[in-house]
Amino acid sequence: MTAEEKKTGFLARAPRSRLLEPGTPTNVARLFNDSGWTDGIPVILPTEARVAEMMKGTSHAPEETVGTMRPSPPHEAWEYTVEMVAANAVMAGAKPEHFPVILALASTGVTSLFSSTTSFARMVVVNGPIREQIKMNSGIGAMGPFNEANAAIGRAWTLISKNLGGGGTPGETYLGSQGNNLNYNNICFAEREELLPVGWKPFHVQKGYKAGESVVSTFTGWSMVNYGGFALPHHQFINRMLSAFFYSGTGSGSQATLLLDPITAQDIRNDEGFDTKERLSEWLMKNAMTPASLYWARRGGALKKAQEGVAPFASWLKYPEGSFLPVSNFRSEVPIEIIVVGGETNAFLMAGDFRYVSGASVDKWR
Amino acid sequence: MGVPTAPVVTQRFLELVKTISYKKGMPKQRFTFVPHPVAGRPPEVCNQFVRSKDPVTGKAIVEELVAALTAPLTAEEKKTGFMLRPPQPRLLEPDTPTNRARLFEKNGWTDGIPVILPTEARVAEMLKGTSHEPNEIVGTMRPSPPHEAWEFTVEMVAANAVMAGAKPEYLPVILALASTGVTSLFSSTTSFARMAVANGPIIEQINMSGGLGALGPFSPANATIGRAWTLVSKNLGGGGTLGETYLGSQGSNLNYNNLCFAEKEDRLPSGWKPFHVQKGYKPGESVISTFTGWSIIHSGGFTTQHKEIIKRSMMPFASGRAQVTLLLDPIVAHDLKDYQEFGTKEQLSEWLMKNAGTPALQYWGSHREELQKAKAGVEPYASWLKYPEGSYVPVSSFKPETPIEIIVVGGETNPFFLVGDFRHVSSASVDKWR
Amino acid sequence: MKTPACRAWAGVFLAFTLLAGFGAAAEEDMISILNPRGTPPPIRLVPMAPRLDTLDGKTIYVVNIGFGDTFLPEVRNVLAEKYPKADWVFKRKAGSYFDDDPKLWAEIKEKGNAMIMGVGH
Repeated sequence: MTAEEKKTGFLARAPRSRLLEPGTPTNVARLFNDSGWTDGIPVILPTEARVAEMMKGTSHAPEETVGTMRPSPPHEAWEYTVEMVAANAVMAGAKPEHFPVILALASTGVTSLFSSTTSFARMVVVNGPIREQIKMNSGIGAMGPFNEANAAIGRAWTLISKNLGGGGTPGETYLGSQGNNLNYNNICFAEREELLPVGWKPFHVQKGYKAGESVVSTFTGWSMVNYGGFALPHHQFINRMLSAFFYSGTGSGSQATLLLDPITAQDIRNDEGFDTKERLSEWLMKNAMTPASLYWARRGGALKKAQEGVAPFASWLKYPEGSFLPVSNFRSEVPIEIIVVGGETNAFLMAGDFRYVSGASVDKWR
Repeated sequence: MGVPTAPVVTQRFLELVKTISYKKGMPKQRFTFVPHPVAGRPPEVCNQFVRSKDPVTGKAIVEELVAALTAPLTAEEKKTGFMLRPPQPRLLEPDTPTNRARLFEKNGWTDGIPVILPTEARVAEMLKGTSHEPNEIVGTMRPSPPHEAWEFTVEMVAANAVMAGAKPEYLPVILALASTGVTSLFSSTTSFARMAVANGPIIEQINMSGGLGALGPFSPANATIGRAWTLVSKNLGGGGTLGETYLGSQGSNLNYNNLCFAEKEDRLPSGWKPFHVQKGYKPGESVISTFTGWSIIHSGGFTTQHKEIIKRSMMPFASGRAQVTLLLDPIVAHDLKDYQEFGTKEQLSEWLMKNAGTPALQYWGSHREELQKAKAGVEPYASWLKYPEGSYVPVSSFKPETPIEIIVVGGETNPFFLVGDFRHVSSASVDKWR
Repeated sequence: MKTPACRAWAGVFLAFTLLAGFGAAAEEDMISILNPRGTPPPIRLVPMAPRLDTLDGKTIYVVNIGFGDTFLPEVRNVLAEKYPKADWVFKRKAGSYFDDDPKLWAEIKEKGNAMIMGVGH
């Protein structure tokens, strides 16, 4: 062992200066780009004047600590203040009125660029009066590139995850082999609370907040699939699709989130009899089937019984290739989450292998 | 066609049909509106709808339909000739950057993220990226077939490239993309997504990423070229106005970047051709290829036997749509070559097309004759009919006209792949636009 | 892509740029920028087809171009009940919403006097 290899104590990191050295806008922009501080798209440079303007969006002091964030558990966590979040909000193109949502998102400590070799995605859903106040889109094209609030808030999350959460350097703090195209915006939208079917609660109310509170909720997963069909009642169609979605895939195969167009939600409520989100979720969790190949791969014990001729396993083993077994893939600790969003032009829905991670009050950061 | 017609429209599409009939030259079309939606509603409910009032005009629907067919035409309804559109000036009136940025945002000329304002100096700098004349026509684009097509020049594309934050050296790729005439914001109620894949020497020349995190928000070239496609589709392709020229009910989060990346050509297994070479281009040519679809799923597993996992992962897309594109990490591609003896992309594509089954529900729904045979006990149909709920019948749901496309991309940290319901639409030479 | 020195700075700093007073619109210079929009084509006005003086004895097609399966048959049924002297014919256009069906249009032109067509779903 060399002397250096035996060293203990702290290694001092270069101190963080509040201001960068002055430069022309062109040179500073190049520095941001070349240093990987952006998402590849030019940012608004966070001048003192612009950050001061952004700070008008909150009553909190610039030096107050917001939280800590890390790219994934083996990595170190970084701590950051309100002003640092404001600088990244400016960079993303956000307006001061968007700032409390961005602070709430940063306060969860959830990174949007989770470092795993499997290229995670994240989702952020906004509920409560803030949706109207900052004109978020929950209608036609809610998930597309059309609305300033949806676009800037979702983008700010990725800039924060890079610059304040110490992530997003490919090869070092980001290892997703192929990357995830959803990380440009992190599926940022608002729930269409006004068109929830009678008896269906807004998402934040399901999680214990008051209806009048404004809340931001984060989700983790990998993929989101766009479905629609009129051949079967929606709940049966969703059930079939959820089973097929996890034929292989990324994670545990036991977490799902549904984004229902209001038409689809109304049909499920009025024609198919699910008078709450929870009842639909429970029915799906109970009735979803498991692809046979996945089931046998995971359940060595059941496979052994099947081979010994024990019912019902033995008969399942005779199912043709590609079959589903009548066993739910879902565990009660990770409920299927349901959110209503869309412009009612088609009875569509999206299903993804996402689960709810955490929520945070936006009002706290006003 | 000379037959008097009364269009009946569900209320949700009011803006759409008024805009389209205006652009098609019948601004006074006699519409009757009915409640939305009607699809999937039982006949009794629809019968009541017909007997009710138009939710827009308040008139009885039946009488309104009859009047649309029988009331004599007004002078305006008989008009012919051309109606000119307001002329488009090359420059906007001078104003402050703040006011101009506000105008772009208010008019929906952006993707919601601030743009670089296209000043004359910036557009002139961008135009250094091509040898083509600013006034040269690049092509035409429309949001979807019922809509009109808009025409655009090199300079107009350069202005949108500036807005997206692109560098001059990216301009040939953006021009090639625009020249395909394929919009990234296809207007359908089903929220389409698009994909753009680059091949050839341009990848190295402009540092496009096909490696680690290639599909994520890391590479300026991938990020701004993908973004420019959406700005071009809005501003030059006449699309992206919610309710009029964009109708995707939920929208697609993939439209922020349109899955823009480069194929990892230098890590293709030996014998596997780069995508553009598969489509008839030379390896030394630079090409951009466009794809259309809806969704893409991340999948994979620690094995060297990938073909079965890939086949199963295609199942969600095997129903009806029957179009699939695979984005394989180089690890997966090499395993398929080394352990499962797929010497070419085409061999893998053919094996998957042949062996991927069709969901039984879908199969019986579209094969009535076979269903009759199955019920009469004819094999193999009879035994397929006995399969448990949710099964797949061993008949391919793929047609040779939409082959499974295969692209290699990724940073080799994990044997993963992406499977999506995408198909190749068109490719264009980047070199032509240098 | 990233130099170690930049990384060591940890996080984002406020960029103090030479854009003095950028936040105040009053002090901004006027700029001239290009119009980012393309050119919509001129519109050729199409006169609407002459209307019928009466429905009696006429053949009217009710065409479904992809409007659900239940609504337009009911349009036909209700109209046939209220206007029994006309012949009301229900037809489903071939293909999807975006596909043309020249055979059907030819049939309507030849045998029909008017048409009701559904848009939406």
